Amino acid sequence: MSFSIEVIQIAAYLGAGISVGIGAITTGIGSGLIAGEGALGVMKQPKSSDQLFRTMLIGQAAAQTAGIFSLVVAMLLIYGRSDTAEGGWFKASAYLAAGIAMGLGSLGPSLGAGYSGGQACKSVARMPKHGNAILGNMLIGQALAQTSAIFALVVAFLLLYSVPDQPAGISVGRIILKTMAFLGAGFSIGFGTLGPGTGIGYVAGKANDMMGRFPNEKSKIMRTMFLGAAVSESTAIYSLVIAFLLIFAL
Amino acid sequence: MDLAQGIVKAAALLGAGLCMGMGALGPGVGEGFVAGKACEGIARSPENASLITRTMLVGQAVSESTGIYSLVISLLLIFST
Repeated sequence: MSFSIEVIQIAAYLGAGISVGIGAITTGIGSGLIAGEGALGVMKQPKSSDQLFRTMLIGQAAAQTAGIFSLVVAMLLIYGRSDTAEGGWFKASAYLAAGIAMGLGSLGPSLGAGYSGGQACKSVARMPKHGNAILGNMLIGQALAQTSAIFALVVAFLLLYSVPDQPAGISVGRIILKTMAFLGAGFSIGFGTLGPGTGIGYVAGKANDMMGRFPNEKSKIMRTMFLGAAVSESTAIYSLVIAFLLIFAL
Repeated sequence: MDLAQGIVKAAALLGAGLCMGMGALGPGVGEGFVAGKACEGIARSPENASLITRTMLVGQAVSESTGIYSLVISLLLIFST
């Protein structure tokens, strides 16, 4: 199969665009959810506007994490790749797959972190006295939601830097097999983090909401949040296992 | 490996990735929804906490099943085609 070095460049630039383009969709939506609830809260409680503003900004910063991950992967795809002719189709497909993994992978976590932060702003507006406890719970919940984005980042880095060069004299069938395996790994972790990220964000959001209504039940709410988040995370771990198998076991 | 075999195996591998990826989408959202509602329920009636936790775990186990189906199909596609 004829190969020219432009194929690697095409794949890397396409991957960079997919990574930051798709990744930015829900980062924007999530930050907007937080700011919307924050603005509504300032209307209800103008006296604690400082506290609400602080909660909103911290929540937005945490919700942007996955967007920053996809920006980093896009930058690495543009400037940090090695385009040598020895890389061959292996490198080209791995670069495209890295972009797909991180782009799709930041969709769910950003949406989840945004919902969680929005509910936290709503709670702070309802009970400004318990603002610090709610802020702490918001950050824990957002961190739980972002774990699956970190899985996607790990797979993207592996695809960027631990895929070997294409061995010389390899058969065409084997080349097609490996390229599709790398793309499959990107799709697996990319779509696989969408559900868990959104689900854990919903759990954390409800926990924040209830902490503002029933602050005395803090320990029971947090326990349920951790248990539920751990169970939702399981499918992200299955996807990570399948992605590792597709990258390394064939 | 000849070309036709390679293409068949390649399709199986791409299918494995798509299968696990999309298959994980539903259970993740569903289990998160269950746990979120359980948080709400426990906060509203903390005296029923153990009952609500039990219901939550059983519901999550049922919605996890499709995630495990996807995992099994992906492993079959990777190793037994």
